[in-house]
Amino acid sequence: MDAQGRATVGGDGTAVLIQDCFSLEIGRIPVALHFSGPELRGAVLARYAAFAQTREGALPIHLDAAPTAAGGPAPSASFQYALGGARLWLNGAAAHFSGVRNEYDLDSLLRILLSWLLLPRQGFLLHAATVLRNGRTCVFTGRSGAGKSTVASLAPRGSVLTDEISLLRREANAWRAHGTPFWGEFRAAGSNGSAPVAGIYVLVKAPENAVRPLPPLDALRALLPNVLFFSSDRAANASLLDLLVGAATQVPCFELRFRRDASFWEVLPA
Amino acid sequence: MTPCAEGCWQKNPSLAWREVEGETVIISPDESVMHELNGTASFIWRHVDGHNSAAQIAELLASEYDVTPMAALEDTETLLTELAERRLLVPAESVEKESGTP
Repeated sequence: MDAQGRATVGGDGTAVLIQDCFSLEIGRIPVALHFSGPELRGAVLARYAAFAQTREGALPIHLDAAPTAAGGPAPSASFQYALGGARLWLNGAAAHFSGVRNEYDLDSLLRILLSWLLLPRQGFLLHAATVLRNGRTCVFTGRSGAGKSTVASLAPRGSVLTDEISLLRREANAWRAHGTPFWGEFRAAGSNGSAPVAGIYVLVKAPENAVRPLPPLDALRALLPNVLFFSSDRAANASLLDLLVGAATQVPCFELRFRRDASFWEVLPA
Repeated sequence: MTPCAEGCWQKNPSLAWREVEGETVIISPDESVMHELNGTASFIWRHVDGHNSAAQIAELLASEYDVTPMAALEDTETLLTELAERRLLVPAESVEKESGTP
């Protein structure tokens, strides 16, 4: 089987496609997308090309353009979520996406699934742009319109890991930011790199550049609305809260008031 | 648990909360809403356990803070009512046991 999961048999010499999947890794979480038909394949390969990676133990995700059959996912699903006509559920060692009509449906379900898979791995997804700087990452968070794409567009070429959705994980007692393929207006396909987090910056557009440290409670208050999380399970939310309190306490957090030009880089701590 | 005869409250079991720098952050997963309690409110929240009545919590509050017993009771009852209106508290009898954090 090659990197894109094509396998052939051919007793009579005819190549027969018996499986078609695409393996990728986001934030060190390997998954394998199994296509039910050819429709999505081209778009998916183009969208996630930078994240193509084949790993042992990748979580299989079975994609189906058709809506979930009557009855829906098994009651034993450890996690499930419905998004319009699309739906995902996690059963044992496999995930299932139904009603996936295009790459945008897939992208949305993938974010939702990742947010769940990350939790026991000490990670979370954040509405944030992440930029490499001096071998570490600056994470710029804020809701739509806060300036994430602006910051990314003002970053040095090749330094943007993502302009929309950042992935933060606590690894070996240190926080690390990973790029993701989930992009915003910047239209950078995202970079599958990662580096230790130097700081989290809460974006505020302002006439002058200024940066001020945020105490943990203020940082938590700023982080919470920007975290992507889709479970209403109490224990999961308690774990998420623990994780965010850890991030707010262990990572230097700042409010960054910035003008819409590259001069704001000068006020960031080295 | 033994239901409180005086109409005690209990934290809504669906909530997740943590104390940070003396204040309490509460997440209501069903509504995706975050609530915050200041230091005094956090003290009251901490003592809402399905057993303590408002009067008992007020007594603890008065012994901890520089406030008269009457003012403590008024503050406690006001806060409990507000928390109950926001569904952060539920009547103690309506749940089997205390759960949640920390």
